[in-house]
Amino acid sequence: MLAVCTGRAGAQGGGVTASWGAQAIPAFTQTNIVPGNRSLGEARVVQPVAMLHAGALGGRLRFVGTLNFEKYTIPNGELAPGDWGESFEDRRHPHTLVHELMLVAPDLLGRLDGPVNLFVAAGKGFVPFGTDDPMSRPVVRYPVNHHWSQILERAVTLVGIRVGPATLEGALFNGDEPVSPGSWPKWDRFGDSWAARLTVIPFTGLETQGSYAFVKSPENRPGAGPNDDKVSVSARWARHPWYGHLEWARNSTASGAFIFHSVLAEGALTLPGHQPYVRFERTERPEEERVFASRFRTRRPLFENSILGITRWTVVTLGDAVDVLRGPIRGSPFVEGSWIGIARVGGGVFDPTVFYGRTHGASITFGIRLAAGMRMHRMGRYQPTPGTMDDMSSMPMP
Amino acid sequence: MRRNRIAMLFILAAALACGDGSGPGTRYVLTIMAGNAQTDTVGSTLPIPYVVKVADATSATAQAGVTVTWRVTAGGGSVTASSVTDGNGIATATRTLGTVAGTARANAQAGATSITFTATALAGAATQFQKSAGDAQTGSTGLALPVPFAVLVQDQYGNPVESVTVNWAVTAGAGSLSVPSSKTDISGVARTTLTLDAAAGPNAVSATVVGLAGTQTFSATGVTGPVFIKSLAVTENYGLHDQFIRDGLAFLCAWNTGILIYDVGNGMSGGSPANPVLVGQVVTNSNGNTGAEAHNAWWFHNPVTNEKKYLFVGQEGPGSIGSSSSGDIHVVDVSDLAHPTEVAFFHRAGAGTHNFWMDEPHQILYAAYYNAGVMAIDVSGTLSGDISSRLIDSLSFGAGNSYTWSVQLYNGSLYASDMVSGLWQLSTNLGTLGSAGGGGNEAARYSSDLWVANGYAYSGTWDHFQRTGLAGSLLKIWQLNGTGAPVALDSITVANVGAVSDVEVSPDGKLLMFSTESGPNSGFWFYSLADPAHPAFVGKYLEPSGVHTATFSTIGGRLYAFGAKNPSGAAMIILDVTSMDK
Repeated sequence: MLAVCTGRAGAQGGGVTASWGAQAIPAFTQTNIVPGNRSLGEARVVQPVAMLHAGALGGRLRFVGTLNFEKYTIPNGELAPGDWGESFEDRRHPHTLVHELMLVAPDLLGRLDGPVNLFVAAGKGFVPFGTDDPMSRPVVRYPVNHHWSQILERAVTLVGIRVGPATLEGALFNGDEPVSPGSWPKWDRFGDSWAARLTVIPFTGLETQGSYAFVKSPENRPGAGPNDDKVSVSARWARHPWYGHLEWARNSTASGAFIFHSVLAEGALTLPGHQPYVRFERTERPEEERVFASRFRTRRPLFENSILGITRWTVVTLGDAVDVLRGPIRGSPFVEGSWIGIARVGGGVFDPTVFYGRTHGASITFGIRLAAGMRMHRMGRYQPTPGTMDDMSSMPMP
Repeated sequence: MRRNRIAMLFILAAALACGDGSGPGTRYVLTIMAGNAQTDTVGSTLPIPYVVKVADATSATAQAGVTVTWRVTAGGGSVTASSVTDGNGIATATRTLGTVAGTARANAQAGATSITFTATALAGAATQFQKSAGDAQTGSTGLALPVPFAVLVQDQYGNPVESVTVNWAVTAGAGSLSVPSSKTDISGVARTTLTLDAAAGPNAVSATVVGLAGTQTFSATGVTGPVFIKSLAVTENYGLHDQFIRDGLAFLCAWNTGILIYDVGNGMSGGSPANPVLVGQVVTNSNGNTGAEAHNAWWFHNPVTNEKKYLFVGQEGPGSIGSSSSGDIHVVDVSDLAHPTEVAFFHRAGAGTHNFWMDEPHQILYAAYYNAGVMAIDVSGTLSGDISSRLIDSLSFGAGNSYTWSVQLYNGSLYASDMVSGLWQLSTNLGTLGSAGGGGNEAARYSSDLWVANGYAYSGTWDHFQRTGLAGSLLKIWQLNGTGAPVALDSITVANVGAVSDVEVSPDGKLLMFSTESGPNSGFWFYSLADPAHPAFVGKYLEPSGVHTATFSTIGGRLYAFGAKNPSGAAMIILDVTSMDK
């Protein structure tokens, strides 16, 4: 990873522009929210990514590529109480190696559409739904609501139109979520799911969005599982030195048989030399039967639609990051701690008191963000949005 | 002069057209005079030549000088290419048979008329033999192999030779043969069936043919446990959840793929446990859920009407275990097994069905209904449309939520296994339900399936560290007291599994089977019920993907276990477990 970071960003030539960047976060996490009423600490390299962005035809065509090497650094996931998805529980699953591979025409008609801006994008990447990927936000720890608030690593084709402060995007994609870090979308399912997102920027610095997605059988790759109806509403403030983010999400599974909510608020302040940040989250998640091989994993492929219950996770995270390295390789040591509460919602046999031996606990994570080249882009959007800061320059990210 | 020239041309043309009088358009009457319907061995020349008489089609007078063309039309071999009729209108040909046994045909053609000679080519003397079926089987010790050993005896051309004596001898193991010698049938095949040595290990049988050199040796292995017979792949629409076997028909509950009906020994389509044959299929209605979600089934044999018309299918929709569930009972008309059709459904608001039991003489379907407890439904007469009004009674039980997995009628009581409150004895008076005993008797784990036999009940548990942090799952043994109430007697702990997912006792009450999943000890487990209070382990068949459900069925005098293997690689596993049923 460091070898990659020694390169130079912003290479260009011959009418084609290109820029690259890379990031990795060696980190240690300790928590007492662990199945079996115990404590566990782990050191891992998380969020190791390499990015390549290229432009051609005077910017009429852009390429967005992101490789995520978690397949190699966290094949068994990242210790993260409350996180779940893709058969992982209380561990964040590793993302797929090809995280993004998108071609974007950000201004399809040039001047022909006058004040209107029509754009299209296609490839493997983010669906225009919900909020930015947590990897491009200040808190290192992933929120519990990752699977309610983002849809990613899909074969997606999107069309967008921007008129003044409003941008409307629509997309078709495959509903199946990845089943392993090496998995590709199930191509014959492309188009079985769709999403739409309306983004409005009332004034510079503030971005609001509302989005809806229908996702067919996300957790059963052949398509036999229940469908999700997803709604996300959020507001994002990004104006130096402040960053703020507030979101609400609702996920209805199997025509309302299971409904999950999430509320999340986070903020950061960029001060000379360091950047404190905070996040509050309250998110509900399904509880599924763990497998014998690991109490951090659930059964895949799914072959039943029952769950053991629903839990609500309240997580308050405080952290601070310090800039200590500047130059080709940027470094930002950080420490963040989370208070975690778990509550049962409704019925079901899952009891956190039995499973974890507690309903409250904590986690602490420290490490260092290492980065080179360009800054992390806003993962989840393929059209630069005027009036907002589209990279992470306002955030405590090196 | 011109007129004369034209007349001459017509005469010349007529002469050229007729030639020897056998032009292609000329019609004759052909009569077989000799040589037809002879029988000889393949490759031989028939002793009597083919003889045909050619006569004028109008006058019936014999025609001399007519060329007869001969041609083989079936069976190969050769025949004289052509011959010319003599003064009596007779033409002859020599026929040599081909090398393939069977009917041989040759045509004789004169002008536009032809006639067919037939002959029968018999196989020659036996010159070779080889194994044709049954080799390298694995079977249960002390029991006959399911497939007989068979040899095929042939002549020099590979034709099967009938009525050849094959001698059989056991050369390894202490097994026995159904016959020590047997004659080949019309297909050239001779057979014998080996009953394996009572001890596990290799068995061998030799086959020899009098007058022929060489020996063919068949091998077989005797094992004491279950014998794998077949893995029948099922589409991975969540795979296979359960199977109901009756009268040699298997009803596979394959989730959104619906119900698949296989002949596994019924005979209607030539199927067997080793070679299931698909008979029909139906995708039951989703009734507002994700899909058919076909989970379990019961083929109703109505002793009152003598009909076998209805298949009841349980739909397992989304649910939160312990509190909510969904899914209806679907009624499928299987009068035409090749074209089953859904005709009715039963819906219970706020709850979904799970396993069934039927009181067939009284035409009452008992359904475990998860958070709604147990339903008793009148299924007499014709079933059509929404049959929810046929509910006789329902019963929830336990201090907390009911979440009932399974029911079984036994000795007039209905036994119910409830996930959260254990094993219950319920009273039923033609479907009117009441609580009679049991319950509140399993708090360490969640209960799963049950089976009652021999005055004992056997129930499973599931839960990997979920309820009280305990590892492994249990097979619990209960004794039914004087009133039929279950009293905990013993238990068998199965380590390294997340669930004992299905429990059943063989029809003769001698063999207990349960399936396990979610762990390295997943598969089929078998226990002898020689002492029904203390089952004794006799065998297992492990399947790493897990076995969700399992059931017994006796087919052709043998006892088979059928099990639903979980995805990936969803399939119905079929085992021969006859040897353990004693």
